[in-house]
Amino acid sequence: MRLLNRLNAVAALIVLVFAASILSAQSGKLPDGQPNMQGMYTRAGVKGLEAEPPFNPIDPGEKNPLSVSNREDGLGPYPRIFGQGGNVLRGAQQRAQRRTGIVFPENKKLPWRPEEDAKRRQFLLDMNPAKDLRHIELNSRCALPGLFEGEDGNNPYTILQPAGKVVIIYDYNHTSRLIDLNRREHLDKNIRLFMGDSLGHWEGNTLVVDTTNFNGRVAYSREIPYLSEDLHTIERFTIVDENTIDYEVTIDDPKLFTGPWKVAGYFTKAAKGVESLEFACAEGSQTLQNIFGIPPTH
Amino acid sequence: MAFAAGFVVWFAGIPAQAQPAGANLPRAAEGKPNFNGIWQALNTASWDIQDHTGQLGVPPGQGVVEGNEVPYQPQALAKKQENFAKRLTADPTEANCFLPGVPRATYMPYPFEIVQTPDSIVIRYEFAHALRMIPMNSKHADGIPPSWMGDSRGRWEGDTLVVDVTNFNDQTWFDRAGNFHSDALHVVERYTMMNPDHILYEATIEDPKVFTRPWKMSMPLYRRVDKNVKLLEYECIFYLQEERYKNAPFK
Repeated sequence: MRLLNRLNAVAALIVLVFAASILSAQSGKLPDGQPNMQGMYTRAGVKGLEAEPPFNPIDPGEKNPLSVSNREDGLGPYPRIFGQGGNVLRGAQQRAQRRTGIVFPENKKLPWRPEEDAKRRQFLLDMNPAKDLRHIELNSRCALPGLFEGEDGNNPYTILQPAGKVVIIYDYNHTSRLIDLNRREHLDKNIRLFMGDSLGHWEGNTLVVDTTNFNGRVAYSREIPYLSEDLHTIERFTIVDENTIDYEVTIDDPKLFTGPWKVAGYFTKAAKGVESLEFACAEGSQTLQNIFGIPPTH
Repeated sequence: MAFAAGFVVWFAGIPAQAQPAGANLPRAAEGKPNFNGIWQALNTASWDIQDHTGQLGVPPGQGVVEGNEVPYQPQALAKKQENFAKRLTADPTEANCFLPGVPRATYMPYPFEIVQTPDSIVIRYEFAHALRMIPMNSKHADGIPPSWMGDSRGRWEGDTLVVDVTNFNDQTWFDRAGNFHSDALHVVERYTMMNPDHILYEATIEDPKVFTRPWKMSMPLYRRVDKNVKLLEYECIFYLQEERYKNAPFK
């Protein structure tokens, strides 16, 4: 009799699980209840073009309206490869529909502490020619880029959502980050990371991600060549439709700024069947040898 | 909730030997064993995949190669010995921080994290933020350049995850002892969960340019059960540059 009860309970559980999975599929949710935003995307609009930009000797073309970064179509250095993917959606029309660039403060003047802005402007001048290793941009060192890659680089992003997690894989330099949906507390402050420590939760169709524990080395963009260890970001990924995610990041770094600022952008889904190739970086890079020469043998 | 409790009691009531194989494995929503989590090998294959005695900086260890023989062709054996002699500077991974390739990434002394979804599995390795995308039930890509981590395609054989890896370059080694392969390398990995915290990992190695026959290595992988364990960052190339270029620009 007791065994029979157990069997009934199991049968009921199976039916329940089955019914739940049908319901989930109908509402576009994953088995763990997460809204489904899995897929490969390209990102646009996140470039933090300031109202009073510094002179950037690394890429003086930034101020040139004809430079790749400023092209109206949003296409970057290698549009051919992904030309059939998300980029076709990234024309002027799509751009006009979405919030992009610095959205707070509205005048696009970042709230730099004056002494820190002066340091940053000097730092940029010291990057070309590079004064020392500290003044080489992180991308040239093949290290993890941090969250932002604050350029419209056209390297796709793949989002996967196993139960309780969101994983974002950057095509760039085989980078990935994992956003924990179940953990509530950040890692100990002694642990410092290029990609930071990310905790997330869903608010309706918006994934909200809180990240700390940065290592003080990652750039926001070429004009903002570093952020400090005190950096704290809040990112909001909002599912707009099957092909579009709106993105907004709040940068709070009290060491460098008197208050937070925000940049918006958006992700558009790549064509089905597009796969990433390996992006090896350290393995082939001659950048440091070319800049500094071969180091003396020990 | 009461249903779930009844479910647990029902399984607990069956003697272990009467349980079907794999009955107590964690399962993903699609019914396959759930490999999501952080894993690590606990052996010395990273130093030498074969039996070896200890040396300064080299922990002794029993090998992971079945039969302990790596069946090199004669010329290839000479090359392996040459690699061994200059390993402290020539090892692409330990001495130069390049991507470790497969299967070496699995048994380096760093954890890795499996991210499993029904259509796609990703493995994130702590060492050099190496990454493998493993699309499920798909064909190898044609006409793409050879790569460090290879082109991985996954499929399920019952409860075993089988990953077929091709399209390697000839640049990676299997260990610090100079065991190597060519660009004809073909690896078939089998991940079989033995219980919730252990995976049996098997890798069959085929390379007709270097070996006389296919050979196999196998080892357990252990779930990192440490409280709050998280995959961190070992940015090998960044640390190496700090050392190599600390006095740059050179005068």
